[in-house]
Amino acid sequence: MMDILVTLTLFLLKSFVLDGEIVTPPPGVMLPRSTARVSPEATLVVAISNDAILLGGEPVASVSAALAGGDLLIDELGDGLDRALAQREELAARKGKGLAYKVTIQGDRDLEFRILQKVMYTCSASGLDEMALAVVQKPRS
Amino acid sequence: MSRRKQRAKGEPKDLDLLPMMNLFVVLIPMLLLSAVFVELAVIRMGLPSDDAAPVAPAPTLGLSISIEEDRWIVRASELEERAIDRSAAASIETLRATLGDVTTRFPDNRDVVILSRPTTRYEDIISVMDVSRETGLENVSLLGAES
Repeated sequence: MMDILVTLTLFLLKSFVLDGEIVTPPPGVMLPRSTARVSPEATLVVAISNDAILLGGEPVASVSAALAGGDLLIDELGDGLDRALAQREELAARKGKGLAYKVTIQGDRDLEFRILQKVMYTCSASGLDEMALAVVQKPRS
Repeated sequence: MSRRKQRAKGEPKDLDLLPMMNLFVVLIPMLLLSAVFVELAVIRMGLPSDDAAPVAPAPTLGLSISIEEDRWIVRASELEERAIDRSAAASIETLRATLGDVTTRFPDNRDVVILSRPTTRYEDIISVMDVSRETGLENVSLLGAES
């Protein structure tokens, strides 16, 4: 009995630690369904809900303001990304490792393409060339 | 005899498991609640950098799928334009068949451009990306169409 409980707890703890908050989309973001099977990595995360753009879980810009701007670049998001990247660069330098310029975009399934386009443009303008779109796996048919 | 032995060693008669059990009983539901059961995945996109953009596209097929309000339009330089009605029930299968046809005729082609309107829903784009990836067109790029 105790053995089962201990094993179960450890297993749950492990799964919790593995895919904890890094990849879990914030509330209000319903990821689109897809047949993709590539598992997510721990990267910088930009989430787009119906009304706000979040960077690492913190709202940095509102969707309506981003849409109102005529430019493709979203300034607030760009600044946030630059700051986050600077932090990561410093960390990577201390660890003596190279920094992967990757970003995961968690977009709500009802988003319009123009906001996604702006976010992706802003990410690439900040030097994040490798993007991944987060999705929920469709059950295998 | 054995009892006396136990006493002599100072061992307790029985382990008191109750506090431990209480802890687990609380911990397990909590972890179960917070565990993620939805399988997440990602679609990798290597976006061409700005420097690479002005380079003229390689003389390939130039396959593109436009997502319009009510239909998909598959275009390629050496193919006639094909429009697929999106409202039909089996429309996604038709798109799959069309793309499969293209890949059998041009097996070297791995690129496809998805043209979306500014108001195209994200999930629609993802579903078209899924279909193209499944038919072997792995290098998907997104592009905004002029509305």
